[in-house]
Amino acid sequence: MSLERYQEFVEALEELDDEMRFEYILDLAREHKDAPFPEEAMTRENLMHGCQSRVWIIHEEKAGRHYFRGHSDGAIVNGLVHMMTDSFSGLTSEEIQALTLDHVRKLNLGALTTQRQVGMMAMLKHIQKLSRQAEAA
Amino acid sequence: MSTAEALDQPYDVEAVRADFPILHRPVYGKPLVFLDSAASAQKPRQVIEAVSRLYETEYANVHRGLYYLSDRATTAFEAAREKVRGFLGAASEREIVFTRNGTEAINLVAGSWGRQTLKAGDEILVTELEHHANIVPWQLLCQATGALLKVARIEDDGRLDMASFERQLSERTKLVAVAHMSNVLGTILPVAEIVAKAKAVGATTLIDGCQGAVHGKVDVRALGCDFYVITGHKLYGPTGIGALYGREALLEAMPPYQGGGEMIDVVTFEGSTWAELPHKFEAGTPAIAQAVGLGAAIDYLQRLGVERVAAHEHALLNHATQRLAAIDGLRIVGTAPGKGGVISLHADFAHANDIGLILDREGVAVRTGNHCAQPLMARLGLTATARASLACYNRHEDVEALATALEKVKAKLG
Repeated sequence: MSLERYQEFVEALEELDDEMRFEYILDLAREHKDAPFPEEAMTRENLMHGCQSRVWIIHEEKAGRHYFRGHSDGAIVNGLVHMMTDSFSGLTSEEIQALTLDHVRKLNLGALTTQRQVGMMAMLKHIQKLSRQAEAA
Repeated sequence: MSTAEALDQPYDVEAVRADFPILHRPVYGKPLVFLDSAASAQKPRQVIEAVSRLYETEYANVHRGLYYLSDRATTAFEAAREKVRGFLGAASEREIVFTRNGTEAINLVAGSWGRQTLKAGDEILVTELEHHANIVPWQLLCQATGALLKVARIEDDGRLDMASFERQLSERTKLVAVAHMSNVLGTILPVAEIVAKAKAVGATTLIDGCQGAVHGKVDVRALGCDFYVITGHKLYGPTGIGALYGREALLEAMPPYQGGGEMIDVVTFEGSTWAELPHKFEAGTPAIAQAVGLGAAIDYLQRLGVERVAAHEHALLNHATQRLAAIDGLRIVGTAPGKGGVISLHADFAHANDIGLILDREGVAVRTGNHCAQPLMARLGLTATARASLACYNRHEDVEALATALEKVKAKLG
């Protein structure tokens, strides 16, 4: 399973203090400004439920691998969304289903705020659901 | 010190803060700046101790046993009801029904009075700035009865559009249900005028005072409303306790809301008869300690003086309004004249949730989101605001800390 980008996140976040983690997450959101999330995809159907911020996630399957893109109207949550979609894009269905909440815990963002970590766990479950749905379709 | 003596003293916010243990704990190693009291207020030790004391020395179920402790607990519970009566200016404690919170009080009116009274084509009039608790129970009631929900508009600054209110009001209006004070905008509605106009067409009136009763003196008899709703946890009291004031004649004519113990007189399998007011509406074991805690909170607030607290909050509000106006790109949503201590913020440089998260790391607690008022947000063309709300224990340093933290948000994201 190729989780290179995910490992990069884990290692980078490990070395940062809380203040710098925020900066890092905001930078992630800024990095994606060049390839903005398509406005036409900001629909009710693509909205993830249960988030305090609005989060949209779209999914694509190419050659048996799943790719995700996401967006939030809040910058910090947007950074977290990108962390998730960058981490877990390019995996097969089996690999995605094998991901566990420990993958989110290892990012160690619970120290930032517990609710954000809970949100990321919800995001993981959401992308697992999207890949299952694609499989069933 | 007697209340009269206390009221002669200048408002001593540091003495007030000393009563609230939680305000002295740091968050992330920084002093806590608590600006989310409109969601739920912190509790003074007088309330915490009243609850502990009841459990430690006087606790048993109420209105049941003949023994000493049950008698003591019942006395304490009913004394709390008397305090709520005095706080709201009701004529009799028979008019004070304890509920879980404001939401339950409104649902009680919808479920009991509403289902008994309304029929297809009748109208319920609310305003655009209502909390979901003063919208959704009426929608359910409309679905059940065929009644229609009408909405009076607000102006852009958050004031009620009185002309719109009058246009919507007619002989068909059977209920006017409005907030005393907006939890998002701080607008204080002209409830006396609203009640008078509603009465002129024969409508019953309900005032949602969950915010209003915290920030100004309430006198339900002078106001002339039929129902007035409060919640304990915003009044520096415990969670799980609220109260409904209802005019006695109305409550008397209403059927029970829930069935069970406490609310009955005689039960046989052929049928049951109901207990006297207010117990008819209090099925099951009530929130005994929470009611006693609410009584202690009312004592506390009255000792400070509701109006003195309001004046203190106004001084803070003025300070905040001026200070925040200096931050470019930041706008206060809700600027109605005479508004109370709620400051909803919209920034063109940051989403409300980013503001909330960054402020949090500075030890500044504000609410972010739609504040359980999605129709109002839609009316304002917003999806979220960051809201700072003021209470008896806030001080000018809190306003400065808020402004400094917002400047930091702007530096990071602007």
